[in-house]
Amino acid sequence: MSSHRLPPQPGEVIDRSTVINFTWNGQPVIGLAGDTIASALAAQGVDVFSRSMKYHRHRGIMTADHWDPNLSLQVDDEPNVRAGTRLLAEGMQVSTQNVWPSLQHDVGVLNKAVGRFLSAGFYYKTFMKPKFLWDNVYQSVLRKFAPGGRVHWKTSTHGAYDKRYAHPDVLVAGGGPAGMAAALGAAQAGASVLLVEMAPELGGHLCWGNDAERAALDKLTTAVIAEANIEVMTRSTVTGRYDHNWVAVMQGDHPLAPERLVKARVGSLVVAPGLIERPLIFSGNDIPGVMLSGAARRLINLWAVKPGQRAVVLTANAEGDAAVKDLQAAGVEVVEVVDVRTGAMVASAVGKSRLQKVVLEDGRTIEADLLVTATGWTAPTSLLNMAGNRPVYDPQAARYFPENLPEEILTSGGIAGNGSTDELIAHGSATGVLAANRSLRLRHSRRAATARSRSPEGPAPEALTDTRTPLRREAHPECYRASTHGFVDYAEDVSSKDLIQAAGEGFDSIELMKRYTTVTMGPAQGKLETVNAAAVLAESRGMDLADIGTTVWRPPFAPISLGALAGRIFEPVRRSALQDWHEAHGATALLAGQWVRPDHYGDAVAEAQNVRNGVGIIDVTPLGKIDLQGPDVAKLLELVYVNRWESLKVGRVRYGAMVAEDGVVSDDGVTGRLSENHWLMTTTSSGAGAVWEMLEDWLQTGHPEWQVHVTPVTGGLTSINVAGPHSRQLLERLVSNVDLSSDAFPYFSVRQGTVADVPDCVIWRIGFTGELSFEVHVPSGHALAVWEALLAEGQDLGCAPFGVEAQRILRLEKGHYIVGQDTDGLSKAPTAGLGGLVKLDKTDTIGLPELRAAYQREDLPILVAVQPDDPTVLPEEAAQIVDGQTATILGRVTSSRHSPTLGRSICLAQVAPQLAAPGTVITVLMADGRRIPATVQEHHAHLDHQGARQRV
Amino acid sequence: MIIVPCPHCGPRNSVDLRNCGEVVNRPNPDTATLTEWRTYLYLRENAAGWVSETWYCRAGCRRYFTIERNTVTNEIRDQS
Amino acid sequence: MSDLLFQSPLNKAELTSPGGNIGLTDESATTKILVRGQGPAVAYGQSKLLPNGTLICGSRPDEWTFLAGPGKSAEVQAGIDQSEATTIVDITHGRAMMRLFGPAATQALAKVCSIDLADDLTPDGAVFSASVAKVTCDLVRSDSQGIQAYLISCERSFGAYLISAVADAAQEFGLGVPAELSLH
Repeated sequence: MSSHRLPPQPGEVIDRSTVINFTWNGQPVIGLAGDTIASALAAQGVDVFSRSMKYHRHRGIMTADHWDPNLSLQVDDEPNVRAGTRLLAEGMQVSTQNVWPSLQHDVGVLNKAVGRFLSAGFYYKTFMKPKFLWDNVYQSVLRKFAPGGRVHWKTSTHGAYDKRYAHPDVLVAGGGPAGMAAALGAAQAGASVLLVEMAPELGGHLCWGNDAERAALDKLTTAVIAEANIEVMTRSTVTGRYDHNWVAVMQGDHPLAPERLVKARVGSLVVAPGLIERPLIFSGNDIPGVMLSGAARRLINLWAVKPGQRAVVLTANAEGDAAVKDLQAAGVEVVEVVDVRTGAMVASAVGKSRLQKVVLEDGRTIEADLLVTATGWTAPTSLLNMAGNRPVYDPQAARYFPENLPEEILTSGGIAGNGSTDELIAHGSATGVLAANRSLRLRHSRRAATARSRSPEGPAPEALTDTRTPLRREAHPECYRASTHGFVDYAEDVSSKDLIQAAGEGFDSIELMKRYTTVTMGPAQGKLETVNAAAVLAESRGMDLADIGTTVWRPPFAPISLGALAGRIFEPVRRSALQDWHEAHGATALLAGQWVRPDHYGDAVAEAQNVRNGVGIIDVTPLGKIDLQGPDVAKLLELVYVNRWESLKVGRVRYGAMVAEDGVVSDDGVTGRLSENHWLMTTTSSGAGAVWEMLEDWLQTGHPEWQVHVTPVTGGLTSINVAGPHSRQLLERLVSNVDLSSDAFPYFSVRQGTVADVPDCVIWRIGFTGELSFEVHVPSGHALAVWEALLAEGQDLGCAPFGVEAQRILRLEKGHYIVGQDTDGLSKAPTAGLGGLVKLDKTDTIGLPELRAAYQREDLPILVAVQPDDPTVLPEEAAQIVDGQTATILGRVTSSRHSPTLGRSICLAQVAPQLAAPGTVITVLMADGRRIPATVQEHHAHLDHQGARQRV
Repeated sequence: MIIVPCPHCGPRNSVDLRNCGEVVNRPNPDTATLTEWRTYLYLRENAAGWVSETWYCRAGCRRYFTIERNTVTNEIRDQS
Repeated sequence: MSDLLFQSPLNKAELTSPGGNIGLTDESATTKILVRGQGPAVAYGQSKLLPNGTLICGSRPDEWTFLAGPGKSAEVQAGIDQSEATTIVDITHGRAMMRLFGPAATQALAKVCSIDLADDLTPDGAVFSASVAKVTCDLVRSDSQGIQAYLISCERSFGAYLISAVADAAQEFGLGVPAELSLH
């Protein structure tokens, strides 16, 4: 490969003293520091960078920037890298995508021969029938030819993606002259500014401009760097604008993270992305060697790369004229300048892997290896679209302009109009001042309204009126298509012929046409194609372009890697003060909701038996605990529980169940009265947060006159349940100031006392296991001492820890239901068997009308205890209960375990009311299809339904 | 993510709050018919335009408050 | 009582950076007293440092948190004017607390908290609550000798997770994070 590198150019960004080695499709090549991947390859004489998606045509440099449809390459383990902007790095392995077996010999080129089959709607029409081929044949074959690179997720070595928040007063999208001036204007007016530029350097078109433009750029750059109020991000993209100026920025220049998503709440958003050069539609417009004027000028001026030897330049504007000069200065022979403004036009281009000839509309054919086109501009109005703005087409200037922008969004630069460098800078600066004024007024009001802020001194700044001199709209010929057909969407291989065919088939609105033909659906997402597509549609329908409309540009402005969207992964977990101990003592961890809990310490059955026969201790800290204080707590409890509370005496405990306003059981637990105005409520582990918020809601909005203070204390009190026949004996060794005897401390009572020398403990005589048990709530900072003291003092009693699984066995033996397991989102109070508890004569309780209605019904399912007739058969949880003869579902098993105490399988089940009578034999459908008989029990408790064991 | 003007904290990102839905009046549970009760439970205006909503300042001051929000434009104005 | 060991959910972590750019330390033993109803004349969002070192935070409307050195619960509670409408709850054991400090503290916190931490909106002494790495936290900007610092507290059981998440955010600014505190 020969070198196309030019002698030093005045504005070049390459460092000729630093050579970078990399590979291109396996071959070693060199580039220079400052090169993009594309410029380095072009300097080495590479013409063909990729093959097109459907027809596998040769493709080369077209725009040499982020939007270049032909420069998506695989770099190391990263697919779809934009080689037009990605800077070269030592050791990169760069290769083409979408070729098989190789770039030179691509089998897919055969598609070209059958091109007429691949026109609009081809996939929809062809791969519909027969359906049985979808998965095995169509999918696997089409995948081979699919565009896009390969993800090597198993071997990927990139660092962690990252995220941060930002709150700039002013965010400027676009770092060209207008954007830089806007940033400076805003910063000097006292605003904090975030300036975001996609390219590796600030400057926009000044970067590849003439001496005067580069001098202006130097001045702007120096000022921006010196301004402390401006944070600059290059290689970064403003990808989306959402409500209330919530703006997403993909930061590409972070020193550690490969990409970082910046979520910015912005005062004023200045949209100054410049203009995107628009290709012209003609036959051969995708041949390597046909490129836009911006590409040719960047190659020459930024990277000192000679883009060709013999050039034809098609120009409709000043940038095209400038390209002629640049080409000539670079030693390219400009053999023909085709000036659209004089009526001249290119008809078609001829060539395969490189341009060979250009055919003009006047019939002449010119040999050339380079055709540079400068035929107009597309305004990237994406961020304005995202704010709900619909830009309006101006045929005089042949592009769209924003109109009627909201206060918090301003535009400057090319998107707003044309101007000399000085005019663009002046407009940008004035825009920045205006943006700062609006954002600082907003900041003033936010400070005044914010509780934590320092109150602003003095009034808000006066609102400035918009006195900017508008940038003029330079006249530009409307050129979209030559007399021949060519590609509209290069990435999707969609031609103007396809669009006209689609319109003929009835897909003649721009949104329908887009989805049918996939035009504008490639990686550039319409940045190059949208206006041309609309122009072709207008032409085919004989309409004005202004009346066609455009497709709506949605986020993201440019593609985002999924890793960056994921950012850091935050998954909060909760640990009790004893969890370290559990893990150090062989506990198998169980994630229950957010809590990490000990499932068992090796043998759950032995743990359960130890509780039945001796004494065990379990960490039940996740149990929700809510401290309630005030004279009106009982009123609150009467409202939120289905049962009565006013009569509960100090030192006593009551079970309570809650339903929602629709009568569905929502939570349950015990609540104790510690003193006249001090209560402690417990809730389910998963329901603690919701119950707390529900209580606050009723106190704040339902009954603000009630005096109750609610404080969640779940993590502050480590909860240890001491269960088993020996539990009193054990606790008596550690508690001195509470009489634990059954007379002094009866079942369902609560006391405060000192346990193992730790004061301020709460001791409950309650139990989920059905055994004599005490639940000790210990201030968490001292919980480990109490836990270890229980084990040490209980050694001779066989005291051992038990985990969640043993507790599940024990509670099922006892027939205690669990809200959310044995009930579901439809289970009303009668289903859960709350009959005796619910007081329908209250004047207000949550869900009262539904409770009253539910107890009138006879069709609600009933929760019952069930035992399979064969004690060795264990139905799975969620196994269906069916009619013996038919498949009609009549209920389901909600909990099932093998009971070590009873030596048989036991269940809780929700069944249809006609099956609920004790002694009814029901049919359980097993997972393997067997139907097994089981018998409904008289009580929920499979064991000791009178509670003798827990009342000793 | 919209900004919700919490009357106690000041403007906050909506991620720190929860939208509790349209403001609805709870009928007297002792006297309401089932139809009235279920209207309260399930039926909402769901208007495209200005709606009175309750928000809960979940991660902030933990206060419930009411605002008016335009469901089309996300403009927000104080109830007062 | 006084010889009882206070077990912190953050295991007395003391993380630093070589250049002093950022640090993260366990402050869970801090005495934390919650006062509800009627309390001192400190507005919601603001704080006041008493001569004895107690920091009174206006944590919420009609809610204050008194922060003092370890083991000072009785002393702090004795100093609180109480009326019938006052509720006092010692939440020392219920809240994990850490101090994130150093010139890069604000930048680090901005990675996991969406609140605007600029000096005028969140000045020294500002008290606020917000989601930090998906956990609801109570925060106080509590600078020391002109160096930014934040007291961050959360429900005790989230503490071990939260210190890992905050340390992860601070790592980019030089914080040395031991393997056992690694987030992933």
